[in-house]
Amino acid sequence: MADATVQGSHLSKSFGERRVIDDLSFEVAPGEVIGLLGKNGAGKTTLLELMLGFTPPTSGTVSVFGHPSQRLPGPVKSRVGFVPQQDELLDQLTVADQLRVIESFYAHWDAELIERLCREWNVNTAARIKNLSVGERQKLSILLAFGQRPHLLVLDEPVASLDPLARRQFLEQLVEISADGERAVIFSSHIVSDIERLANRIWILKNGRLDWQGDLDSLKDSIVRLHIRGAAEAVAGVEVPGAISLRREAGFATAVVRGWKPELQHSLRAVHAVTVEVESLGLEEIFLELHR
Amino acid sequence: MSAVARLVYTYFTSTRLACVLSGGGILLFAVSLIVVFGMPQPEDMVLFASAGQLAFFLGSSNMPLLAGRLSQGHAARLLPQGRLKLFLSMMVTVALVALPTLLLMPFAVIAGTIKVGVAVDIARLATDPKLRSFVIDMALMIYASLCILAGWLYLAMWFVTSQRNSAGFSKALVIIVILMLAPTQEVNDPSSDAWTSLLQLAIAWIVFGAIFLAWPRLKNWRTRSWIPGLFPRARAVRSAGREIDLMLGTHNPWMYIGALLVPVFLATRIGQFSPAVWLYMLTIFSAVNGAISGQAAERSRALWLRAGWSRSELFARVEASFARHNSFVLGVLLVLMVGIGSYEGHPVGMLAAGLPLLILGTATSTYLGLMLTRGVRWSEALLAIVLMLTLMALPLMLDTRVPNMAAVVALEVILAIVAIVLRFVARSRWAAIDWTECRRPRDARLAPG
Amino acid sequence: MFVLKPQSGIPIYRQLLDQVRRMVASGQLAPGAELPSVRELAIQHAVNPMTVSKAYSLLEAEGLLERNRGRPMTVANRPKNATQLSRRLQQIQPLVEQTVLAAKQLELSEADLLKAIRENWEE
Repeated sequence: MADATVQGSHLSKSFGERRVIDDLSFEVAPGEVIGLLGKNGAGKTTLLELMLGFTPPTSGTVSVFGHPSQRLPGPVKSRVGFVPQQDELLDQLTVADQLRVIESFYAHWDAELIERLCREWNVNTAARIKNLSVGERQKLSILLAFGQRPHLLVLDEPVASLDPLARRQFLEQLVEISADGERAVIFSSHIVSDIERLANRIWILKNGRLDWQGDLDSLKDSIVRLHIRGAAEAVAGVEVPGAISLRREAGFATAVVRGWKPELQHSLRAVHAVTVEVESLGLEEIFLELHR
Repeated sequence: MSAVARLVYTYFTSTRLACVLSGGGILLFAVSLIVVFGMPQPEDMVLFASAGQLAFFLGSSNMPLLAGRLSQGHAARLLPQGRLKLFLSMMVTVALVALPTLLLMPFAVIAGTIKVGVAVDIARLATDPKLRSFVIDMALMIYASLCILAGWLYLAMWFVTSQRNSAGFSKALVIIVILMLAPTQEVNDPSSDAWTSLLQLAIAWIVFGAIFLAWPRLKNWRTRSWIPGLFPRARAVRSAGREIDLMLGTHNPWMYIGALLVPVFLATRIGQFSPAVWLYMLTIFSAVNGAISGQAAERSRALWLRAGWSRSELFARVEASFARHNSFVLGVLLVLMVGIGSYEGHPVGMLAAGLPLLILGTATSTYLGLMLTRGVRWSEALLAIVLMLTLMALPLMLDTRVPNMAAVVALEVILAIVAIVLRFVARSRWAAIDWTECRRPRDARLAPG
Repeated sequence: MFVLKPQSGIPIYRQLLDQVRRMVASGQLAPGAELPSVRELAIQHAVNPMTVSKAYSLLEAEGLLERNRGRPMTVANRPKNATQLSRRLQQIQPLVEQTVLAAKQLELSEADLLKAIRENWEE
């Protein structure tokens, strides 16, 4: 327990009448990369803000490196990096000045890394921030969080404005960061393919609750699509345990199942005398099915 | 503490202009101090040194915006000791910015600009402890007052730069006018000494610091308040129903009117002002009233996209919206002018000249603001300064026993012509407006998802 | 060396497992051959390093790969027929299922299918 990077217990947050986060409990261990998925307005940003203490919970607790998020001491803060959804850059300054201002707050700042990334990512350090394009601003926001080599990196839609090349460069850098297995990364994104590459755990936030909180691999094994064929009467009578959707036509049915186990394929075939073909789904398909 | 040093350095060097002002100001100040002993007219030295001090202050004018942005965003919470270091950086900046004047004091005394009843030179200063402590006391007192003044000016600048709408201007205005009135109070109270001033300064910083550092907790307490309705969320602004007014910021002239009534009321309570000072104050109000038109260009882009108007039609409607807003404020100002004037028995000539002056103040600043369709360039900034000086000069001209009415009338006619010319320029610029050249409004913040 | 498709319904680690197994069984990866390090593979394909190391650990547990201190993983020196029959059958099971299913859809009999297989085998 003391090793947990982030720990939340019965966390809730309401804005007035609206319950945005409803009784969430979770744990983040070092080395994990967590992809946070959810529809717009599902509360992803709120959850990330609760985790880092930017907003107080209505009930429940959340802590970072063992300290309550609302009262993080300085040394803990210097191990945390955050990239907000809306950049908070100082328009009047040059890129170099902005970097120097943030750098001055941290005792351990990897200037070499930042310099190299500025070159590789095509960020012009002499440019004024107000003249940068949206993509360049986003790259700079990301760089500002990387510099102190944080042990906990939280990113809120960090690549929404980046082109595919820039996104791939960012992913490669995240892979480098998480390669030593000691750092935790939590990032929310709409770009499911990025999460699919990088995350090993998935959190799906739906109606204020974590609809799924587990390995990506298990998620792909758990939620599958079945194609059922057989005689019309047989198909009409088929009952699929754990189905979250089921569509029937004459002699043919499609079902999306949650909690799938390979043994079920044999039992379905035996009980109902139908053929069952199992189709694995990609993360985007899974997300869509869960939100139908 | 390198963060504090880096922040302060950044405040003074944020843009190229800031670098020029800060560096140039210091240089000018230093040079005039060094040269003082070789100057034939020591008073000139004080003039140059003051110009240097002013430039140095202006060089740091981005400080409220930068510090404010850092403290409003996630940075203040996430950077280690973020809030504390931001606060210290602000304090150090204020202390630094007023420092040249502190250093100036002894030199000014030696140069004779500040009369202390006896001739003073360095030798005398070194050997006479009473004289020394007197000069030091005076210097500290002025330094403390200057720090407080700088703090308030930064606050006014914060309102103007962060909320670029009439609400921001109004708040800044209230502060500036209170500052104008406050010194008159101090003059009436000669018993203050250095320690009182420093104490005032210390208290001001402690109060500000406490609120600034505890702000997140205060904000949470407010939203968590268990007495429902104790701190209700701001009620939705009651709009007059016209979208164009909302977008330009002209939907609520009463807010601005309320803001200017406060200092006017304070002024009537405090004491006697000469008619010229009243006119001066009301002229400034009328000029600032028109200043929100400076953002009309960038804000009108959305209007143009949504409605089917041509650019000329758009200009006509924008002009009408400002005319409606300004007429309310002008009406109040004119009533005030006449009311106070007749109550206090101001000369009729001053009233007669003052009424058109107020109208001209609003008209010229409104059209100057509408002209800014390509951001603010040097020529336009210069024009604004000249206009402001002219508007301020007129009350001064009227202040003599027998004012030169011919000159005043001539100047007002010139101002009227200038207003017409500015309108013509604004209209033609709007007919060919290119919104990519306006500054982007950065007011919009997305709701949390 | 490998083709990884993150968007497939098949978890990445399993894709890697299948591909390594097949390459070892077919001889493409000879005993003693070096595999790319976890970090290299992760960066090359822009995937989570833990996924790669999960696959490598499973392969090591199976006996297919060998860990060497300070050097990347290598293919273990094992005679081919030491791999259990059941394991190899398990590898081919999905293909068998697919073939049988397709045959049924095309209304071929078991005999027809076996005949086609035999013909293919003898080529």
